[in-house]
Amino acid sequence: MGGVEHEDPPLKRVKVSYEESDSFSSNASIRELARCLSNNSMARPLESQGDDEVVGVKGVVKKVELVRIIAEALYSLGYEKTGAHLEEESGIPLHSAAVNLFVKQIIEGEWNESLATLHNIGLMDENIVKLASFVILEHKFFELLDGEKIMDALKTLRTEIAPLCVHISRLHELSSLIVSPSQTALDGTSAQRLRIRSRKKLLEELKTLLPSTVMIQEKRLVLLVEQALDLQRDACRFHNSLVDEMSLLTDHQCGRDHIPSQTLQILQEHSNEVWFLQFSHNGEYLASSSSDCLVIIWEVKLDGRISLKHRLSGHQKPVSYISWSPDDHQLLTCGVEEAVRCWDTASGECLNVYEKSGLGLTSCAWAPDGRRIFCGVTDKSVCMWDLEGKDVKCWKGQKTIRISDLGISSDGKQLITVCKENIISLFEWESNSEKFIEEDHTIISFALSNDSKFLLVSLSNQELHLWNIDGTVMLVAKYKGHKHSRLVVRSCFGGLEQAFIASGSEDSQVYIWHRVSGELILTLPGHSAAVNCVSWNPANPHMLASASDDRTIRLWGLNQVNMTQNGEHSNGVCYCKGAT
Amino acid sequence: MGRLFVVTLEGKIYSCKYCGVHLAVSDDILSKSFHCRYGRAYLFSKVANVTVGETEERMMTTGKHIVADIFCVQCGSNVGWKYETAHEKSQKYKEGKSVLERFKILGPDGSNYLVSHEAHIGGSDADDA
Repeated sequence: MGGVEHEDPPLKRVKVSYEESDSFSSNASIRELARCLSNNSMARPLESQGDDEVVGVKGVVKKVELVRIIAEALYSLGYEKTGAHLEEESGIPLHSAAVNLFVKQIIEGEWNESLATLHNIGLMDENIVKLASFVILEHKFFELLDGEKIMDALKTLRTEIAPLCVHISRLHELSSLIVSPSQTALDGTSAQRLRIRSRKKLLEELKTLLPSTVMIQEKRLVLLVEQALDLQRDACRFHNSLVDEMSLLTDHQCGRDHIPSQTLQILQEHSNEVWFLQFSHNGEYLASSSSDCLVIIWEVKLDGRISLKHRLSGHQKPVSYISWSPDDHQLLTCGVEEAVRCWDTASGECLNVYEKSGLGLTSCAWAPDGRRIFCGVTDKSVCMWDLEGKDVKCWKGQKTIRISDLGISSDGKQLITVCKENIISLFEWESNSEKFIEEDHTIISFALSNDSKFLLVSLSNQELHLWNIDGTVMLVAKYKGHKHSRLVVRSCFGGLEQAFIASGSEDSQVYIWHRVSGELILTLPGHSAAVNCVSWNPANPHMLASASDDRTIRLWGLNQVNMTQNGEHSNGVCYCKGAT
Repeated sequence: MGRLFVVTLEGKIYSCKYCGVHLAVSDDILSKSFHCRYGRAYLFSKVANVTVGETEERMMTTGKHIVADIFCVQCGSNVGWKYETAHEKSQKYKEGKSVLERFKILGPDGSNYLVSHEAHIGGSDADDA
């Protein structure tokens, strides 16, 4: 290691050690010789440390820093010899001699000496020196107390700690400990062990106090590599599959083939326009509703095929919204300005009909505890019912408009509705407080993310706006490209960790954007009329369903080269008229 | 045609004669002195539930304007037009506003409008009285 006495910045120190250090003399002379012999054949550039201040193409990585963190990494991995060798060979010490001395003194409990060395390290900030001194002296104080040297501890407190004038409240705590030492006397051996162990902890604490240029953060190199991997993953626009390991050897980049883009199944059970569909939370069922007033529950089989499970009839009006109960055992369906019905998923039976005489219900949502439901009413109020059908509470006034959806945050505290044409209300119904999202254009529909932190709002100017509603309400992103001018066209979050946004469109295509970048990555043609609604399977990031005015539902999956089951068209698309 | 996005208005409502969709409220009337081929027409500061057609330059009674026809979002009936740009300074107040033809709409009391015998042929528009 460099035998350096100065407190110069690393670069200068290196130069000094290169030229003057005794321990380096033999190495230095060899290097001199080598340099004289031939420059070109040397693998390492030896000309001078000063010229090679940076490494890498971009010129932002300082060589000295790089070598230091590599040395630290070697020591962290347990390769003491190699670490020491690197320091020697590069002439770049991991830590200055003062720091190394300091560390040694701390471990061996030479408090006064360590304080002196602390001042020699060359810290610019007086405050840091004081704080570090405090921490060291505090530890000394505790060790004295442990060893029952009360008078010495008191002396330390009075003459060494107090004058620092930092952490006054802590100082008072320490003095109260002298009076009533809560630390009970431990027997000799364990106290010894404790002391040594806690000296290590003291060192760790000091490391966080001292600037990182003086003492390199532990495992700094690994931390930087992890940051790079995170950035690669975030930048991967098509990242939609669980990647077990990310390799350091190549950059991570998924291909487009991890996003559902091929029609795998077409479901033709509805006799009129399909207006809404949604996968259950566990991804095992799909529910769809149509202007033919029918609701269908489909079952998602293990091999990804969808088959019809139940036809739910009872509504007299087109069904515009469906809400799955949190445990997926029940389903709420809303007929337009009519009634809300609750169905049992397993049996297909209608369990309850929620109505308000003389009025119609316009939206429905399930409370996260599964014990109550909320509905919007044509008189602009929002009502809460229990599962027996009892009207529990009603919020009157301009709470919701007829065409609005109803959403509930996952903690059940916020009711989300469109209360005016261009305003969404986030209503905390228990505390009666409200937050608002105001837009410049008419709001068509909205969708809530799984974690209830984001709201995707569809506007009449054909844009989707993503709002952060967790804490400060803020517009985060916009998505464009799809078309809608007359219809309620719905969009959703989906894919692995909801990294994508999907939407229907009046031009018969499904649109998929990368959520973070806002980039439109796929448009999926196939339907022959407007696509009203899309739903991404929450349990399978490779399955997407779309509902269209062409009366069909399409299931989209990964691009498969061939399908070998019999009775199917050669392009691999299966037309399903019910159970397979 | 999917679930139509339709807003519901409050107040004294003018609605589409053919399908009943809300189009405007009487509070938003700026002038009742407009006319079209079928008789009277009202200028509104804003209308709802309409789709806007192609813009084109048209010669109106008060001069050249750039207008677009507006259609009921539900039944597609041509219920009037919207002023995009007016060439004359004195007509600038019309920009962004829409005219609904009285013949195509039902009044707040549900009243229908009979084509007036004073119907102006070949002339639409008017100045504010």
